[in-house]
Amino acid sequence: MLELSHVNMRFGGVMALSDMSFHIQEGSLTGIIGPNGAGKTTIFNIISGVYTPTEGQVYFQGCDITPLKAYQIIRLGVARTFQNLRLFTRSTVLDNVMTSAQNRYINTYREEYFTGGMSQANRPAPESWYSFIESCLHVGRWAKTERTLRKTSLELLDRVGLADRADQTAGTLPYGMQRRLEIARALALSPKLLLLDEPAAGMNPEEVFELNDLITGIHRDFKLTILVIEHHMDLIMRICPHIICLNFGAKIAEGSSGDIQNNPEVLAAYLGTDEEE
Amino acid sequence: MKRTLILILIGFALALWPLGGYQEGIVILMCINCIAAMGVSILTGFTGIFTLGHAAYMALGAYTTAILTVRYGVHWFPAVIAGGLMAVIIAWLIGIPTLKLTGDYYAIASIGLGEAIRLILENWQSFTRGARGFPGIDPYTTRTMAVVIFIVLAILMFNLLDSRLGRELRASRDDGTAASLMGFNTPRTRMKALVISAFFCGIAGSLLGGYMSFIQPSMFDMMKSTELTAVVVFGGLGSMSGTILGSAAITLIMEYFRDISQYRMLIYGLLLVVIMVFRPEGLLGSHEVWELLRWRRKNNA
Amino acid sequence: MAFTFSTFIQQVINGLSLGSVYALIAVGYSLVYSILLFSNFAHGGFLVVGGYACYYLLTQWGYGVSVSMFGALIASGITAVITERLAYKPIRERTSLTLYLLIASMGVNIIIENLFVVTVGGRIRALPQNTFPTGVFSLWGGVTLSASDILSLVTAVIFLGLLQVFLNRTRWGLAIRAAACDIRTAGLMGVNVTFLISLVFFVAGVLAAVGGIFLSVRYSLYPQLGSITTKAFIAAVIGGLGSLPGAVVGSLILGLAEMLTAGFISSQMRDLVVYSLLVIMLLIRPAGFFGKEISEKI
Repeated sequence: MLELSHVNMRFGGVMALSDMSFHIQEGSLTGIIGPNGAGKTTIFNIISGVYTPTEGQVYFQGCDITPLKAYQIIRLGVARTFQNLRLFTRSTVLDNVMTSAQNRYINTYREEYFTGGMSQANRPAPESWYSFIESCLHVGRWAKTERTLRKTSLELLDRVGLADRADQTAGTLPYGMQRRLEIARALALSPKLLLLDEPAAGMNPEEVFELNDLITGIHRDFKLTILVIEHHMDLIMRICPHIICLNFGAKIAEGSSGDIQNNPEVLAAYLGTDEEE
Repeated sequence: MKRTLILILIGFALALWPLGGYQEGIVILMCINCIAAMGVSILTGFTGIFTLGHAAYMALGAYTTAILTVRYGVHWFPAVIAGGLMAVIIAWLIGIPTLKLTGDYYAIASIGLGEAIRLILENWQSFTRGARGFPGIDPYTTRTMAVVIFIVLAILMFNLLDSRLGRELRASRDDGTAASLMGFNTPRTRMKALVISAFFCGIAGSLLGGYMSFIQPSMFDMMKSTELTAVVVFGGLGSMSGTILGSAAITLIMEYFRDISQYRMLIYGLLLVVIMVFRPEGLLGSHEVWELLRWRRKNNA
Repeated sequence: MAFTFSTFIQQVINGLSLGSVYALIAVGYSLVYSILLFSNFAHGGFLVVGGYACYYLLTQWGYGVSVSMFGALIASGITAVITERLAYKPIRERTSLTLYLLIASMGVNIIIENLFVVTVGGRIRALPQNTFPTGVFSLWGGVTLSASDILSLVTAVIFLGLLQVFLNRTRWGLAIRAAACDIRTAGLMGVNVTFLISLVFFVAGVLAAVGGIFLSVRYSLYPQLGSITTKAFIAAVIGGLGSLPGAVVGSLILGLAEMLTAGFISSQMRDLVVYSLLVIMLLIRPAGFFGKEISEKI
C-alpha cells in the first residue's frame, strides 16, 4: 500500500537519504530502526509531504503522492505523530482530538478526462462536515455533527486512557499522556496508514509496556497499517513482525525481527556505537 | 444558546437604557470599537497573525459607505454591508501574497499595506476628497442600530469560534505545521481568518463614518491600527469575550480622561507597558468569561 | 517634470544623504532584532530623546556642538538601556513570546513621544542656525551639494565604521555576534547575557540619537519625529531583518527611491513608493537581500 522508490533527499550538501526503496504491505506493522541521524524522521517527513524528495517517488495505494502537499496526503488517509510533541497546547485534550476528527475525508477515484489516468479526489466525510453558514448560525447539521465528533473523540480518548482528562488543557498533561494524546489525535483522522515517530521517547518502562499493548491493540482493532520509528529496540522487537534498519541515510537491512537481530551489519551499526560509549 | 440569550439581553440593556446624548455617543463608540476589535481578535488572538494595519480596512469600509450614501444616494444598510464587503475583497487580494509571511515580517508588511491604503485614499483627491476629509455623511449610525449590529455580529462570531472553523483557526495558531499535518490547508485557514477580520473592521469603519458624519484618512493611521491590536492583547489573546470587555474598558477609560486629553496617550502607553510587564496574558488569558465562571463554581463546590 | 541629468544627480545626492540617516537608525534596530528577534518600535523614541537632548544642551545650557552631541548620544543610549531593564527584561524572563515585547515597545514609544508632548509641548523646534555648517556648494548645472549632506554622509560612514570595528575587533563585539547566532549558547559559553543585551541597546540608542540629530537638522524637531523610523524598519526588512549590511543597503535603496520619486514623479508619491517597494520585496524575497531563510525542525 505504501512504496518508496529510489528516494533521495539532499539538504544543501548533506545527503539525508540515499536510494531509499521499500514496500509496506497493507495491514502490516513495520518498525524502522537506526542510530541517531540515520534519516528515520526524514522518511516520515517525506511520506507525509513535509519535504518533497530531491529524487524518487512515493506511492500510496497505487497513486504517486510525491508532488502533493502535506494536507492533501493527510486527507488521503495518512496520519502521523511527532517525535518532539506537537499538540495544540492551548486547546483542551478533547478539542485536540475533535480538531482532527473534523478532518475526515472520503477518497473517490475518478478517471482523468484529459490524461486518461486515474486521480484521487477528496470530499469531506458527511458525518464530520457542515457549512460556513451553519457554523455562523448554529443551525442545520451543526448540532448533530458536533455531537458525533465529540462522541467519537471521547471514544478515542477512552481507548488511549485519557477520557478523564478530556477538559484539561493539552499543554499541561504529563509527558507520557501527551504522547498518547498524539496517537489519539492521529487516529481521529481515521487513517489507513499511521506513522508513529518515537512514541516511547521519554517514557518509563511501565509506560512503554502499556504502549506495547496500545499499539498492537489499535493495529488489530482499527485494521491499520502502522509504521513505527523507535529507539527502544526491545519495543520494536516485541511488537513489529517486520523491521527496516537504516544507517547514514541508507537501508542496511530488512526482514523479520529474528533476521535483524542476527544481521552482522545491524550489529555493527549498533554495537559499534556501543563499544565507543 | 445561553450565550446567545445573554448577548441579546445585554443588547436590550445597551439599546433601551435611558441615557443622555453624551452617554449615547459613548455606547455607539463602544459598539464600533468592539466590532473592530473582534475583527482583529479573530486574526491575532485566534489565528496568531499579528497585524498592525487593520485601521486600513476600517478606512475602506468608511469610505465605501460614505461614497455610496453621499454620491449615489444608496440606503445606509446596503452601503454598510458593501463597506464590509469592500474590505473583504481588498483583504483577499492583499492576503494572497502576504499571508505567506510569518511573524514580524507579516506585521511590518501590514504596516506598509495599511499606510499604503491610507495614502491612496489621501491622494485620490477626485474620489475621496483627499486629506481634508469627506464631510456631510448622513448620521445614520444611531444607538439602536449600532447596538443591534454589534450584538448580531458578536453572536455570529461566538458561534463561528465554537465550530469547525474555530478549531481550525486555533490549531493553525498553536502549531501551523501540526495543523497542516492534521489535514488543514493552512494558507487557506489564514485567508479565512483575514477575510472575516477585514469584514468586521470594514463594518466598524462604515459605522464610524455614520457616527462622525465626517471621515478623514488620518483617522485610520498606524496609531489606530496599533490601538486595535493593543486592545486585543489587553483583553487576552484567544479570548473573544476578553476582547469585547477589554475594548469596552479602554473606550471608557479613554473617554474618562478626555478632559486631560494631553495625558491620555501617555496613560495609554503606560497601560500597554504595565500590562505587558505584569499581566502579558491580558484580562482573561485565553479563556472566555463563562469558562472562568464555570471553574470558579466547580472550585467552590 | 522633465527628466534632466542634473535633477537626477541632485536627487541621487539627496537620496544618499537621506539614506545614510535611515541607515544609522536601521542598523540599530536591526542589531536589536538580531539578538532578541523582535521589532523594537521604541527605537523611534530613542531617536527623539537624542534630538531633544541635543537641542536643550545647545540652547538652554549653552554647551558647544560636540559636547551637546556627545551628551545626546549618551542620553539616548541610557534611555535605551533603561527601557530594556524596566520593560523588556521582565517580559523576557517571563515568556518567550516576542509578541509581548513588540507591544511593550509600542507602549514605550507612545510614552516617550507623549512625555515630550506633555512637558515641552508639541511645538516644532529647530536646532540653532549656526550649529552645523550650512554652506552650499554649487556643482555644475545647478546641482548643489549642501554641507549638511556631506556631514550626514561622513558621519554615517564614521559611525557605521566604528560599529564595524567594535563588532569585529573587540571582545564584546564578538560576543554580540555570537549571541546573534544563538543567544542561549552564548550564555552557556559564559557570556554575561544581561550585560550584553544592555550593551546592544546602548549602541542602538547611540546610533538612533545620531540619526535623530541629523533629522532635526534636516527637517525640524517635534515629539512625533520618531515615526520616521517606520521607514528605517522598512529599510531593514528590505535588506533582511537582523542583517547589518542589509540594513545599510536597504536604507540607501529607500533613500534613493524616495528622492528620485520626489524629483521625477511627485513628492506626494514618495511614501507610497516606499510601501510598494516593501511589499514587492516581501513578495519576491521575504527574507530580504541578506536575510537568512529560517527552516523549522520537525
